[in-house]
Amino acid sequence: MSNLIQQLNDEMSSAVEGVRKSLVEIHNGHGGAGAGTIWHSDGLIITNAHVVRGRRGLKVTLPDKRTLPARLLAHDDQHDLAALSVDATGLPTIQAGDSQLLKAGQWVMAIGHPWGIAGAVTAGIVIGEGAQLPEMAASEREWIAVSLHLRPGHSGGPLVDIDGRLVGINTMIAGPDVGMAVPAHVVRAFLHRAGLSDAVDATAKQRNNYV
Amino acid sequence: MSVLSDLSNALAAATENAGAGVVRVEARPRLPASGIVWSADGVIVTAHHVVEQEDNIGIGLPDGKTTTAKLVGRDPTTDLAVLRAQSTSLTTRAWADPAVLKVGHIVLALGRPGENVMATLGVVSALGDAWRTPAGGRLDRYLQTDVVMYPGFSGGPLVDASGQFIGLNTSALLRGVGLTVPVATLRSVVETLLTKGRISRGYLGVGAQPVRLPEALAKQLGQETGLLAVSVEPGGPAEKAGLFMGDTLVSLVDQPIRHLDDLLGALGGDRVGATVKARVLRGGQLRDLNVVIGERE
Repeated sequence: MSNLIQQLNDEMSSAVEGVRKSLVEIHNGHGGAGAGTIWHSDGLIITNAHVVRGRRGLKVTLPDKRTLPARLLAHDDQHDLAALSVDATGLPTIQAGDSQLLKAGQWVMAIGHPWGIAGAVTAGIVIGEGAQLPEMAASEREWIAVSLHLRPGHSGGPLVDIDGRLVGINTMIAGPDVGMAVPAHVVRAFLHRAGLSDAVDATAKQRNNYV
Repeated sequence: MSVLSDLSNALAAATENAGAGVVRVEARPRLPASGIVWSADGVIVTAHHVVEQEDNIGIGLPDGKTTTAKLVGRDPTTDLAVLRAQSTSLTTRAWADPAVLKVGHIVLALGRPGENVMATLGVVSALGDAWRTPAGGRLDRYLQTDVVMYPGFSGGPLVDASGQFIGLNTSALLRGVGLTVPVATLRSVVETLLTKGRISRGYLGVGAQPVRLPEALAKQLGQETGLLAVSVEPGGPAEKAGLFMGDTLVSLVDQPIRHLDDLLGALGGDRVGATVKARVLRGGQLRDLNVVIGERE
C-alpha cells in the first residue's frame, strides 16, 4: 500500500518536472508577477489578460533564468487571454491535451507562482467543464472547474493532466478550494482569431504526433 | 503500469458510474441542486433546504431528459426531502456497506446542478457514533468529510472509490462542515415519509432557556444547568401536567436536561402519546410531574 502511494508520488513529480520547463514568470513592471505558459518553441507565451492588462515594460523570466523583454501580440479581455512573444527559439513546450475530452473526476495539476513561490504545484480533480457551470453561468464562457487550491500568482500557468499534457490555463480563484481554468481549445480559438495561426498550426501538428 | 493514470481513470469511472443515479432537482429559484434516485419507480431523495416548492419540481435525468416531481414529505431535522417523479423507469445505483468505511478513505461528492454530473474529491475526516443535529434530528452516525460542496451539490451523494453511494451530502446541517447523512438514516426517513408523509416529533409546549442550578443541587444531580420555563403554552402538554412558568426542568424520562439539545433529543417521535416523568425544580424543591408527550404540528 505504501509502495502504491510512493509510486503515485513519483509519477506526479515526474509529470510536473516536465511541465515546469514550460512555465515562465511574467513581470508587469509594478512588482507584480504572474505565470505564463510557453505555447510555441519560437517564443510564443500564453497568459491571462488580467496579468498584463495596461502594462508596459513587460518582462518574462524563462525556466533557464534568462529574463527577456516581452511584446504583447494580442489580448482578449472577454476570455481573459493574452499572447506574448519573446526573442528566443528552441523553448520547451507542453504536449497538448484534449480539453474537450475532460471527464469529471479525473486528476489534474496546476502549476504557477502562488504568492510568488516559483513553480509550485497544486493537484485535484476536474469538478466539471463547459459554459453552464453554476458559479459561472452568467459568463457564457467555457470553463474547467477544478477542485484544487489556486492562489494569486497561479494565473496564466498551465493546468495539466496526469501525463503532463496541457488542458487549460489557470485563470480564476472561485473559492478557497475551487479554481477555474480556460480550456486549451478556447486558447487555440483565441490564437486563431488573433491571426497567430502559424503557431496554432505548429501546436496542432505537434499535437497530432502525440495522439 | 501507471498508478496515477489508474487512479485518475478510476475516479472518472466512479463518477460516471455513480452519476447515472444522480439527478438535477429544480425546486428553488436560480440555482438547481442534486438528488439521489432511491428507487427505479420514481422515488428521489434530496436535501430539505433546496426544496422551496411542492409541485412541478423539475428533475434533470442523467440521459439529458427531464421530468417533473412532487414533494412526498420532508424532515428539516435531518435536512432530507423525498420526491416522487413522474418517470417510473429511473436508474438506481448500489449502496456501499457502511461497515467498511474508515477515516482516511478516498471519497467523491457528486452533483448535477447542470446537465452533466460533477465531482469533488476528498477523504473521510471523521466517523462517530449517533449524532443529534442542531435542528433536533438524529443521524445513525456522524460522517464528516473534507470534500468541497460545490454550488448545487446539496442532495447529491457521497461516493466511495468503487462508485457506490455512502450517503447524502448537505451543507446546511452544520455551517462550514461537509456532513453526510448515512444510508441507515436515509432509509428510515425515506420509509417514514413514504408511508406517513411526515416525521413525527414530540412536543411539550414550553419556551425555555438554560439556567445555572444552585451549587448543592448541581452536585447532587451531576449537572450544572437545567431549562427554565419562560413561557408555558395554554392547554399544551406541559401545562396539562402542571408545569408552571418559572419551573426549571432538570430531567425527562430520567435523562438529564441541561440545554435545549437535550430536550429536543428527548422528544423523539417514538415518545408521542407516552406518559413520561419530568423532574422540575420549583421553590428550591425537586418534584416529579407526569407529562403526556404531545406531537409537534
